Amino acid sequence: MKTVFEIAQAVQSGSLTAKEAVQEALDKIKELNPQINAFVEVWPEEALQRAAEIDARRAKGEKLGPLAGVPVGIKDNILYKGHKATCCSKMLANYVAPYNSTVVNKLLAADAVIVGRTNMDEFAMGSSNQTSVYGPAHNPVDFDRVPGGSSGGSAAAVAAGMVPAALGTDTGGSVRQPAAFCGVVGIKPGYGRISRYGVVAFSSGADQVGVLSSDVKGAALMLEVLCGRDVNDSTSLEDEVPAFSQQFTADIKGLKVGMPKGFLDNLGADVKEKIQAAAEKLKSLGAELVEVDVPHAKYSAPCYYIITSAEASSNLARFDGLRYGFSDTSANDLNDQYELNRAPFGEEVKKRIIIGATALKAENYAACYLQAVKVRELIKQDFARAFEQVDVILTPTSPTTAFTLGAHKDNPLAVYLADLYTCQGNIGGLAGISVPCGNDKAGLPVGLQFYGPILQEEKILNAAYHFEKAL
Amino acid sequence: MILEKDNALSCARMTKIRLRAEEAAMYEEQLKDLFQWVEELSKVDTSAVPETTTAHAAYLRPDEPVTQEELAERLVSAFSQQEGHCAKVKKVL
Repeated sequence: MKTVFEIAQAVQSGSLTAKEAVQEALDKIKELNPQINAFVEVWPEEALQRAAEIDARRAKGEKLGPLAGVPVGIKDNILYKGHKATCCSKMLANYVAPYNSTVVNKLLAADAVIVGRTNMDEFAMGSSNQTSVYGPAHNPVDFDRVPGGSSGGSAAAVAAGMVPAALGTDTGGSVRQPAAFCGVVGIKPGYGRISRYGVVAFSSGADQVGVLSSDVKGAALMLEVLCGRDVNDSTSLEDEVPAFSQQFTADIKGLKVGMPKGFLDNLGADVKEKIQAAAEKLKSLGAELVEVDVPHAKYSAPCYYIITSAEASSNLARFDGLRYGFSDTSANDLNDQYELNRAPFGEEVKKRIIIGATALKAENYAACYLQAVKVRELIKQDFARAFEQVDVILTPTSPTTAFTLGAHKDNPLAVYLADLYTCQGNIGGLAGISVPCGNDKAGLPVGLQFYGPILQEEKILNAAYHFEKAL
Repeated sequence: MILEKDNALSCARMTKIRLRAEEAAMYEEQLKDLFQWVEELSKVDTSAVPETTTAHAAYLRPDEPVTQEELAERLVSAFSQQEGHCAKVKKVL
């Protein structure tokens, strides 16, 4: 499969039709999806119709958009008018989006072709795609392993060559961790860069839309299409969006790369070796490695689980079956009605709602929720100080490579701890990108992560671009 | 410790989530581990951090009325039964 850039340029120039690009994607999905389960629904006729319209516009001499004819998948929590958006949950099994999310409008305006919705952990809660009501997506590198999560379907679709790019959402690493597990690029911009209007809310203080792409340049182009102020999302930033795909420099000589103190301490030998080699590679490209101190970052994971679960318990309270979502008609009284209507939530979703409500309970609030909010502030201050010294910060994306399906089932804490490197970005509102940095001894991809401050996504894209080229 | 006062069943009840006995036992165990882990946060000195902090900056739009009649109609039309501009919902009690 060609990259985002290659397809867009070829369709714009006429050396490839949008229909050919979309047909290739549909053929690949047909061939591989039965094993990988990356897409939970595909819209072939509609996609081909739209591709034909794009080709017809080009034939008339119209200038096409920057993503002309690029087939993309969208995560199942992103609204596309007239199409199902179920969050891979029984709760929303029959929910049809009544309007377009802003990101979908932007993709369509850029002449991308949305081919289907991708698998995910239920309501974006999980790191393995195993909590989906449609069954897990499988890692294209090894079908017995998870693709990561929660945007596991989007990552698997890109890694398998079904589409060159897909949208995901990232609340604690849900774009970057599956990108690392599947060996593709995953970027989460800084908080507020992309509108969340029409994206089903999990944790409003952390949710961000992100991009999974087969290469850094494609991620940059997608990002510049998607970013920008939206009046329908009060958290979206007003600042100008640079042409990210045109911001790459000739080299990274003199780039200051921060290496957080002790960040390699708890890594397995395989991952550690790859991250150390990546740091050396950056040095050989002219970057300067600088040790930085982010002392509170080690508290990111517990902080993240309290804040996001508290927000989830509030956001998911709307699923009471009275207005939309699953509804049971056999109730005897109001309490019965609520409890029966909320029964379709899966195990992980129920657990997070309970955690959140417990943390927000009056007698726990100060010690639990408020303390987590204060620690978040300290983590943000740590990173702000570190970015006074360096341009980007380097970490592993995940402490491990993709694990086998069913692993850690009885030990959810082990899974939560694995989010340590990625959830720092959501807690701090930072921009983060995961880029492949080689394979471990079992042949599984390892991800390298760059963090940058808000509104400086071009710095992490540039570092990742040069690293990708040099690898 | 948080779950010394509460238990999984009572927490679930607050959120209108009904747990079967075996589910309650499983959650009890997992929530205990989780809140024990979260207690690490109490080691952090936050005395200098103000009590009210927002996640990140928010930019509010001007406080002007916005007409979204078309959106309202589309939302109402998503219901299986309608009467004029109203959506008909199931009787609860």
